[in-house]
Amino acid sequence: MTEDSQRNFRSVYYEKVGFRGVEEKKSLEILLKDDRLDIEKLCTFSQRFPLPSMYRALVWKVLLGILPPHHESHAKVMTYRKEQYSDVLHALKVIRFVSDTTPQVEVYLRMYQLESGKLPRSSSFPLEPEDEAFLAIAKAMEEMVEDSVDCYWIIRCFVNQLNTKYRDSLPQLPKAFEQYLNLEDSRLLTHLKMCSAVSKLPYDLWFKRCFAGCLPESSLQRVWDKVVSGSCKTLVFVAVEILLTFKIKVMALNSAEKITKFLENIPQDSSDAIVSKAIDLWHKHCGTPVHSS
Amino acid sequence: MAQQANVGELLSMLDSPMLSVRDDVTAVFKENLNSDRGPMLVNTLVDYYLETNSQPVLHILTTLQEPHDKMDTNVVVLTTGVLVLITMLPMIPQSGKQHLLDFFDIFGRLSSWCLKKPGHVAEVYLVHLHASVYALFHRLYGMYPCNFVSFLRSHYSMKENLETFEEVVKPMMEHVRIHPELVTGSKDHELDPRRWKRLETHDVVIECAKISLDPTEASYEDGYSVSHQISARFPHRSAEVTASPYVDTQNSYGSATSTPYSTSRLTLLNTPGQLPQTLSSPSTRLITEPSQATLWSPSMVCGMTTPPTSPGNVPPDLSHPYSKVFGTTAGGKGTPLGTPATSPPPAPLCHSDDYVHISLPQATATPPRKEERMDSARPCLHRQYHLLNDRGLEEPPGSKGSVTLSDLPGFLGDLASEEDSIEKDKEEAAISRELSEITTAEAEPVVPRGGFDSPFYRDSLSGSQRKTHSAASSAQGTSVNPEPLHSSLDKLGPDTPKQAFTPIDLPCGGADESPAGDRECQTSVETSILTPSPCKIPPQRRGGFGSGQPPPYDHLFEVALPKTAHHFVIRKTEELLKKAKGSTEEDGVPSTSPMEVLDRLIQQGADAHSKELNKLPLPSKSVDWTHFGGSPPSDEIRTLRDQLLLLHNQLLYERFKRQQHALRNRRLLRKVIKAAALEEHNAAMKDQLKLQEKDIQMWKVSLQKEQARYSQLQEQRDTMVTKLHSQIRQLQHDREEFYNQSQELQTKLEDCRNMIAELRLELKKANNKVCHTELLLSQVSQKLSNSESVQQQMEFLNRQLLVLGEVNELYLEQLQNKHSDTTKEVEMMKAAYRKELEKNRSQVLQQTQRLDTSQKRILELESHLAKKDHLLLEQKKYLEDVKLQARGQLQAAESRYEAQKRITQVFELEILDLYGRLEKDGLLKKLEEEKAEAAEAAEERLDCCNDGCSDSMVGHNEEASGHNGETKTPRPSSTRGSSGSRGGGGSSSSSELSTPEKPPNQRAGPFSSRWETTMGESSASIPTTVGSLPDSKSFLGMKARELFRNKSESQCDEDGMVISSLSESIKPELGKDLGVEAKTSLNLDGPHPSPPNPDSVGQLHIMDYNETHHEHS
Repeated sequence: MTEDSQRNFRSVYYEKVGFRGVEEKKSLEILLKDDRLDIEKLCTFSQRFPLPSMYRALVWKVLLGILPPHHESHAKVMTYRKEQYSDVLHALKVIRFVSDTTPQVEVYLRMYQLESGKLPRSSSFPLEPEDEAFLAIAKAMEEMVEDSVDCYWIIRCFVNQLNTKYRDSLPQLPKAFEQYLNLEDSRLLTHLKMCSAVSKLPYDLWFKRCFAGCLPESSLQRVWDKVVSGSCKTLVFVAVEILLTFKIKVMALNSAEKITKFLENIPQDSSDAIVSKAIDLWHKHCGTPVHSS
Repeated sequence: MAQQANVGELLSMLDSPMLSVRDDVTAVFKENLNSDRGPMLVNTLVDYYLETNSQPVLHILTTLQEPHDKMDTNVVVLTTGVLVLITMLPMIPQSGKQHLLDFFDIFGRLSSWCLKKPGHVAEVYLVHLHASVYALFHRLYGMYPCNFVSFLRSHYSMKENLETFEEVVKPMMEHVRIHPELVTGSKDHELDPRRWKRLETHDVVIECAKISLDPTEASYEDGYSVSHQISARFPHRSAEVTASPYVDTQNSYGSATSTPYSTSRLTLLNTPGQLPQTLSSPSTRLITEPSQATLWSPSMVCGMTTPPTSPGNVPPDLSHPYSKVFGTTAGGKGTPLGTPATSPPPAPLCHSDDYVHISLPQATATPPRKEERMDSARPCLHRQYHLLNDRGLEEPPGSKGSVTLSDLPGFLGDLASEEDSIEKDKEEAAISRELSEITTAEAEPVVPRGGFDSPFYRDSLSGSQRKTHSAASSAQGTSVNPEPLHSSLDKLGPDTPKQAFTPIDLPCGGADESPAGDRECQTSVETSILTPSPCKIPPQRRGGFGSGQPPPYDHLFEVALPKTAHHFVIRKTEELLKKAKGSTEEDGVPSTSPMEVLDRLIQQGADAHSKELNKLPLPSKSVDWTHFGGSPPSDEIRTLRDQLLLLHNQLLYERFKRQQHALRNRRLLRKVIKAAALEEHNAAMKDQLKLQEKDIQMWKVSLQKEQARYSQLQEQRDTMVTKLHSQIRQLQHDREEFYNQSQELQTKLEDCRNMIAELRLELKKANNKVCHTELLLSQVSQKLSNSESVQQQMEFLNRQLLVLGEVNELYLEQLQNKHSDTTKEVEMMKAAYRKELEKNRSQVLQQTQRLDTSQKRILELESHLAKKDHLLLEQKKYLEDVKLQARGQLQAAESRYEAQKRITQVFELEILDLYGRLEKDGLLKKLEEEKAEAAEAAEERLDCCNDGCSDSMVGHNEEASGHNGETKTPRPSSTRGSSGSRGGGGSSSSSELSTPEKPPNQRAGPFSSRWETTMGESSASIPTTVGSLPDSKSFLGMKARELFRNKSESQCDEDGMVISSLSESIKPELGKDLGVEAKTSLNLDGPHPSPPNPDSVGQLHIMDYNETHHEHS
């Protein structure tokens, strides 16, 4: 009741009329005001609405478990995180794995490797594919989050989430992608099948890197909102929407290599629309997420 | 020829698949066409196109330019074109309308052409052309009257065209009716596609024919009131014409003057300028003499103003054959040629007559006509004379010699001015001569032209006969001619009814040879008159084209059009009867449309030809030719060919018309059959209707009966109803009475009831009283009994009182005795009781108070409890919260710890890495030193053994102890199970401690696989301090030392020997280590070193991968 009273009484009608996001910021603020943040509500909110950019880092940190739900311990936990960050960084510097000239992204990678015990013996060893994916995600994240500690932690937890929570569902995504593409545009799918391009689509770029490096960060963070809040299926719809948007070009291309190459380097100008449509499509097919409580 | 071949080649190349070649050739053709003005190339192209349908050629032809697309002045082509156009027009009424103006223009040009005759156009051709123009006129007028009339109006309003109009068009216009479209339609309406949609081609043709007044063209359909009359008359007339063919011959002679021969001759012999004058003079006179004939001069109609000239120009020799014919005719008939019928004037005259007949009642004969008749009679006489003269001058009749013609030039001047008839006669003679000449000319080279004259052959026979007949009939004609006007001449009329029917019979009898074909002709004529065929055989057919092949549908008419046929038969017979009565003057001359003129020309040509063929002996022919120059003139042949072509065209055109008619007839027949079927159907329907009417009658009668019955029943019902009504009324009245009575009774009943109620009340009251009294009675009786018992008790009590009084007195006495003892005791007792009571009361009070307070206390405590529970819950929640918070922090801390662990691991790794390198270095050095120390080793061994035994005692030195620890380590490694159990359950630290050297090596093993090569060399350079390992881990080392000291001590005690032997085996390693590490410690360890044995090497092999690697390498 208190929550409702604080909200604008017109808010109920905004959505009916078609305004979106008018009251979202306010409701998010209300959510964030709670001591002991309700993670579930935050998840639902993040899935339903785009996050305001000023709260994005905070929400992500909370959702990814970097910050505990209690406001009190935020400061303390954050100092822990910072110390951990600096410790790890220091260690890397001590063993001369990184230097001041090492690019920040690689520093993040090495830190992550160190923390996960996968640090190679020498920095000159070739990178594993998963490291490449990490670098791509880190690069995108670096653009989104300013603070390097926050950035490192978000990258770390984001990648961890991909590797743990979505470990089973990520391999299923190509199949789901085919299924939804068939629903949306079966002709396109048959074309892809004819070109035998279905198996050669850039699934790694789409699902393992979560479109990092494929979409510009401004659009990408809206996708990642959903991924962070627990839905990796959004990625499928982004992929479907990319194909639908560039259907004509894709239909014109006849070889799998060309299609893959094109999809790996899609034009950036329409990415915002793609993401909006993809999220609509996701809501359409999977239903708008409603808070269960 | 070479060029021709070249052209052929080019043409074949034109269709080559190579585009460039084709373009080149096309260009060549175009260039040629531009440079060459001759028609040759164009003709070749056209031929080629017709053969191959080559598209490029068509393209070239369609892009033809100026010099080639000019009008061709060849009459044959023109006529053919016009005929094709006329044929096409009804087929393409709609699509042709865009070119309507072009059609009109064609008409305008051709009509003017007919008059002006540009170039050297043969007259014979002009006849054809004129005929086709005439047909075009009909077609255009029939199809697009409004447009056409407006065109005519605009075109002939110009002065330069006026003459053409007067000469050519105006006569044509007199052959047509006013088109109804001129009244009802408009220009646009004519072009309306809906108008044409309903009509098929033959419909259009018939539509056009309906407009025509020309007997050869006009249609004879019912339904056209005016045209019907005319047409009904015309066939008859045409029949007459056929019956008396002399007019035909006459006319055809007239037109025959325009045969190419004459003209060609004329052009040869005379200047063209002279001709028209001489030729036109008779015709003009012809026109002027009969007032109405101006319009109907055949020559005028044909646009030919040059009828008679030729005789004068014809060489006399050629007249021989003809003169024979002429002579025979003259001889056979006596002098019938002199009759006015033979002369040309009657032709127009009769024509006018016809029209008079049509337009006016027959009785009103006009004065001009009389005059004409008179005139016509007069020239005949002249001519007769002339002929007689001729005959007298030259040869007896029947002989072959020709007389007249030789003198004709002489006569010409006078006679021409004097009499047309003579002129005409001469013409005839001349023409026949000409024709004979032609025929002879043809007869000689006959063989190749067999096909050509074949149609003419028979024709000529019949024609020749007809000519002779004509003479005869004309004789009759003249005798009968004036009959309607002058009844006095009637005498001849009645005796020739049969002749009227079969005018040819008579001449036939008198005819000379009369071949079979002639008879056929006659019979056909007869039948054609007498059979009720509405479609009179046109003269041309009789002329030979059609007689052989009667129309295939003729016989259908009787079947299909019984009504029309019947009608027609009636009319025909009427007319015939009338004619039989004496109207034979009408057999004069029918209209002379160009068609007929053309037909007659054909006939005549054939006639002459046949004559020549039959009667001319061959030598004479040859003579003729030799006389003439030896070879037949090519010009003539060409002309003949052209003529043939024209005729063929004409034939085709007529055939087309016939087909259209046939189509139409078939359709009409179908309609008639349908109509008949419908009629029968109607009749059947009528019968049915009658039957049904009868039924209806019957039904009506029965209906009436039923109605009567119904009305009766109705009446009965009415009476019943009225009766019942009256009954009802009575009953109602009764009922009301009863009702009143019952009312009264009810009131009475009510009164009775009231009374009863009152009585009942009274009864009740009475009863009550009785009861009351009874009660009272019982009460009283009870009282009574009570009082009685009371009295008894009183008595008893009184007795008791007495007894008790006595007892009382007794007790009183006793009481007085005992009273003093008891009072004190009682009082004391009372006091005690009172006190006790009070005490108890106070106690009870106290108790209740206590209870209250305790209850309050309980309540209080309960509330406290609830509060506490709540608090507890809150506390729990808070605790949870705090736990969560702590967990969050703890997690962060844990992660930090994890990170730290990882960091330390990394560090360890790094350190171990570095150690590994150091060791390698050390090993290398040791290997070098080993050789040098080998000698010393033996001596030192003893000391070492002692030292090894006292090793446990010398444990205070840190380094030494470290070395001791190391010395012990090999043993646990050899007996791993025991050391593991002893080393704190195999914890990592203990194992590390127990085998301080091994772990780095072992651990490095798996890792080093990746980077062993890189560190292999680098480690060699770094000074290795293996001994320092325990130092770096001093804390751990201490612990280990403690652990192992105990162990070693006990073990040492237990089996010193084993240790010594083991220590010996390890010596080299130890020595190596220590020796490398520090020289000071060497003194202590000095005694220990032992010579290296294979065992230790093998151990090393297992322990240090790198070392072995080094050794091997």
